[in-house]
Amino acid sequence: MEASQGNHPNPNPNPNRNNSVASSVPVWPTIDGPLGLSEEESVGYARRFYKFGFALLPLLWAVNCFYFWPALRHSHSFPRIRPYVVGSAIGFAVFATLLSSWALTFAIGGERLFGPVWDQLVMYNLADRLGLTGWS
Amino acid sequence: MESSVLEWLGVEIIGVMSPVSICMFLVVLLVYSLSSPSTTATTIATAANLVYAENPSDTAAQKLEGAVLNAVVFIVFIALATFLLVLLYYYNCTAFLLHYTRFSTFFVLAAMGGSILLSLLERFSVPLDAVTSFLLLFNFAVVGVLSVFAGGGLPILLRQCYTVCLGIIVAAWFTKLPEWTTWTVLVALALYDLVAVLAPGGPLKLLVELESSRNEELPALVYEARPTVNTRNHAAAVGFIVAGVSDSETSRIELQVVSRVNSNNNNNLSSNNDNGENGINDEWERSPLVGGMRFGEVVVDEGMSPLVEMSGVGENEEEGEGVRRKIGERGIKFGLGDFVFYSVLVGRAAMYDLMTVYACYLAIISGLGCTLILLSMCRKALPALPISIALGVLFYFLTRLLMEPFIVGTATNLMMF
Repeated sequence: MEASQGNHPNPNPNPNRNNSVASSVPVWPTIDGPLGLSEEESVGYARRFYKFGFALLPLLWAVNCFYFWPALRHSHSFPRIRPYVVGSAIGFAVFATLLSSWALTFAIGGERLFGPVWDQLVMYNLADRLGLTGWS
Repeated sequence: MESSVLEWLGVEIIGVMSPVSICMFLVVLLVYSLSSPSTTATTIATAANLVYAENPSDTAAQKLEGAVLNAVVFIVFIALATFLLVLLYYYNCTAFLLHYTRFSTFFVLAAMGGSILLSLLERFSVPLDAVTSFLLLFNFAVVGVLSVFAGGGLPILLRQCYTVCLGIIVAAWFTKLPEWTTWTVLVALALYDLVAVLAPGGPLKLLVELESSRNEELPALVYEARPTVNTRNHAAAVGFIVAGVSDSETSRIELQVVSRVNSNNNNNLSSNNDNGENGINDEWERSPLVGGMRFGEVVVDEGMSPLVEMSGVGENEEEGEGVRRKIGERGIKFGLGDFVFYSVLVGRAAMYDLMTVYACYLAIISGLGCTLILLSMCRKALPALPISIALGVLFYFLTRLLMEPFIVGTATNLMMF
């Protein structure tokens, strides 16, 4: 990777078109191209973020997919990175589905569905009780 | 030389103007959507108005005197915190600085950002439940800390977005200062920045020199407009004179945020005896003890922020077209305080009229352009606040006192528009 890195003097590289080998195989595993991580570093980071995502941090899964988009997009590239990125994509999709289902149910159902508990759970009422609206 | 400067400016100005403009625009949006005349704004006690709490019933002389005192005390706090930062860095307490910066970043995003989020939910009556909002806020804060300090493990775009978010949150909190205090503090900060960066023995100058002599990067919040391959490959080169300055400024800004959050918590504590959460109570009980020191730190952060930096790459000096490549390869670095104070100025203008917002925005962008031109000529760390703040304040008062009566008068008499 470092050898080919020297062949890219362009300060604003496009990661999907940095190929000096083939027209469809990406050279860099991250969207930042040569500014980002090498393949060796990427494996460690992808695994780490994939595992952190299970600590109630699904946004890290989304960031993982975004950062290693070339590995996710091209099915045959970077075989060591891809399992973590695909796992992150699946995890984020599941979590987003669950959370948005709950949030929409809560928002649309409202008091009819949840009864008086709804008034206690809705955030602006809760904020009033806890006195967290000191800013406005 | 002239053509190369113009060529370089064309590339760099977009990279610098865009985040500043986005930050200012979003702060104006926040100010417009959240400020309602009916709500009596609770004056939040911060390091910037320790001495004098402004009242509308006070006379102009009282307001001016109190505001000047506030500004002086604020600058003293900032200077003390800056020198404290210099001492910590000098005695190799970099790990402490790094952890403190991370903590303050988390606190800004979680506490101050959360407060703004709650205000938005209340303003627009969004029926978001407690679980969802806490989960989103937690993710937002943790990913923010990671993106700003995790090195190369996260996208550059994400880091830039979070830096702008930090600026927006801090600036929004700053717009809660009373009017006279805001103006005097802005002017005092611009003067302080001028002295701290350019005077021999100035705290920011000391930090820059320390950092360049050590080739060790100071942990701080810095917006990097256009990272380059060479910059990444030669980590040692990052320890440029300019980098040090912006680093220190950024960390100072964060400190300010922390102190404000503490003061906010104090207010909440005094106004909410029903709060049963032990964790929050514990935090509130601790905050008064640490408050004094943190206030000073916060002040320091604010004062230190304004610096426009250029980090150069030594390799390019060997190029035939050394001047052009050298300029082109350099990435400009902004201390986060620049974002904050530009946005505070525009946010304050937004509380009066949109005309003053346009005038201030154009003035600040012009001042930024002047600073960039000076930067390309001087090739050393420069304070970014003085020119922009001076032009912004000047244009605000000119627009408010002269232009608006003129335009309103002519429009009323159908002589214009």
